[in-house]
Amino acid sequence: MTSANSPFFDAFRRPAGWGFSSLLAVGVVSFLAAAGGRHPHLAWQAYLINFLLWSGIAQGGLLFSALMHVVKARWSGRMAGIAESMAAFFPISFVLFLFLFVGRDHVFPWLHYDLHGKEAWLNVPFLLARDGLGLLILYGVGFVFLYHSLNLRVGMLAPVGKLRTTLHRRWSRAEMDPDAIRSRMTLWAMLYCLSFALVLSLIGYDLVMALDPHWISTLFGAYCFVKPIYIGLGGLIVLASVLYIRYGADTGLTADHFHDVGKLFFGFALVWADFFYAQFVVIWYGNIPEETSYVIARTMTAPWRGLAWTVLLVSFVGPFLILLNKKIKTLPRAMTVLCTAVIAGIWLEHLLLIGPALNHGATRLPLGILDLLITLGFLGMMALAVRFFLNLFPEVVHMPTRDMSP
Amino acid sequence: MNRERHLMGLYSDERQAAAAVRSLAQSPFKVLRVHSPIPSHRLAEALQVKKSRVGLFTLIGGVIGFFAGFTLAIFTALRWHLIVGGKPVMALVPFVIVGFEFTILFAVFGNIIGFLFQTDLPRFDLPEHYDARCSGDHFGVLATCEDGQQDQLSRLLTRQGGQVSALDPGGI
Repeated sequence: MTSANSPFFDAFRRPAGWGFSSLLAVGVVSFLAAAGGRHPHLAWQAYLINFLLWSGIAQGGLLFSALMHVVKARWSGRMAGIAESMAAFFPISFVLFLFLFVGRDHVFPWLHYDLHGKEAWLNVPFLLARDGLGLLILYGVGFVFLYHSLNLRVGMLAPVGKLRTTLHRRWSRAEMDPDAIRSRMTLWAMLYCLSFALVLSLIGYDLVMALDPHWISTLFGAYCFVKPIYIGLGGLIVLASVLYIRYGADTGLTADHFHDVGKLFFGFALVWADFFYAQFVVIWYGNIPEETSYVIARTMTAPWRGLAWTVLLVSFVGPFLILLNKKIKTLPRAMTVLCTAVIAGIWLEHLLLIGPALNHGATRLPLGILDLLITLGFLGMMALAVRFFLNLFPEVVHMPTRDMSP
Repeated sequence: MNRERHLMGLYSDERQAAAAVRSLAQSPFKVLRVHSPIPSHRLAEALQVKKSRVGLFTLIGGVIGFFAGFTLAIFTALRWHLIVGGKPVMALVPFVIVGFEFTILFAVFGNIIGFLFQTDLPRFDLPEHYDARCSGDHFGVLATCEDGQQDQLSRLLTRQGGQVSALDPGGI
């Protein structure tokens, strides 16, 4: 793993201490200890929340790059390449999904319910098969897009390492000209956007909405794929900020990039809140007990009531008022804090959706230090995946890209 | 008697105009006005103009609209005072829609009013010392100098390319 003589390459290769790995270790140990302890359902609840959250960030990250390509956006510049690095979490996400079934007794409360004919849809083998297949398609399509995108970005550069050499050999054999690569990318980017909407709706219905098997909201699927776009942008801003703070102008990012992507983030704060409100107002108007009970449990009864208001404030009202300001969107440090807060707010929002179904009759919030430790473990995993990608393809951040036009 | 003389440099290129503005800033001459056929960040930068206050008008409009929307919805509901479909008369949940729409509407009003105020529009006369080519495809940089210095100013204006037109009744 040598060759390139830029100090930037070395900077990426330098082991960043044991930071991320130890975070991962902390998470794994706390999860295993809690899963084998007296309240295993709390460990599995945190696992499910984190699986949805971090997978969402990764899926939303790649979606940003796909969208930028499809709409032929030029403003995003190096941002799209940075966003692609989060796709390195896809394989991990898939394994995490499969592992979820080890804890099926804890994360699928409907296993013990009378489902009144819904058994045909809600049973473990079918759910595992359809969601697993859906994720395979989503991640497969994402990787094909990524394959072509990387060909365009770094295909001509001298390969470093085994994986790069293999890819380079394939790219050289195919010998596609940039226009042909771009049209392939457009096709796969569109397929990715389509499967993003369909698969994440399915995951939302199966892993979140079905926990209350008698409650239905038609828009819930759309709500579940708008959310990953929102937090995916948040994750992208955090990652880009960290790179920018560490490597400065070498990253090719400017205040304008942060301003523009901040505006998009601001926009999706509104979209997310709108998809919540669009469901809420229909349920409020209809006033049917089967529908309202879900909302009443989460917004009007203790202990969830306070959590609901916290989520609204942290993930919508706060960011909305703060992001009205132009200056703040150009400050990577401030945006890192804000986006981290929003992602934490969305973590709590997952707890708000999932928690009441898994903790019937809870008198206090099922939230503790354990959740923090498990979340840190997932953070470590995400960071390791991203670092792996950036070590493999440091050019997406550093080198002057040959031709950024879409 | 020293009379003020007005010269306008006309450029077909944004960069030339911005360079002329910058070189004028370092000279004893004053830039009176710059005409641009397009919104130009480069010129705004060269002129070091202050941040526009239109955004503030938009914000104020939006805030007023938010409350106006709720007020309108609550006021009309209270005038009728009918219970419909078992819902409270003053039902805040659906009023959010009215509040939201009014926020946008009034923000747009604020934006337009702010824009008109800040730019002294509408105006129906041509400004003094104006060259018609600025309404076409030319950037115009209007500068003043004292009588007798026209040659010097003219050289400065044409150094980047472009032409100079004298805009005083008596000519140069």
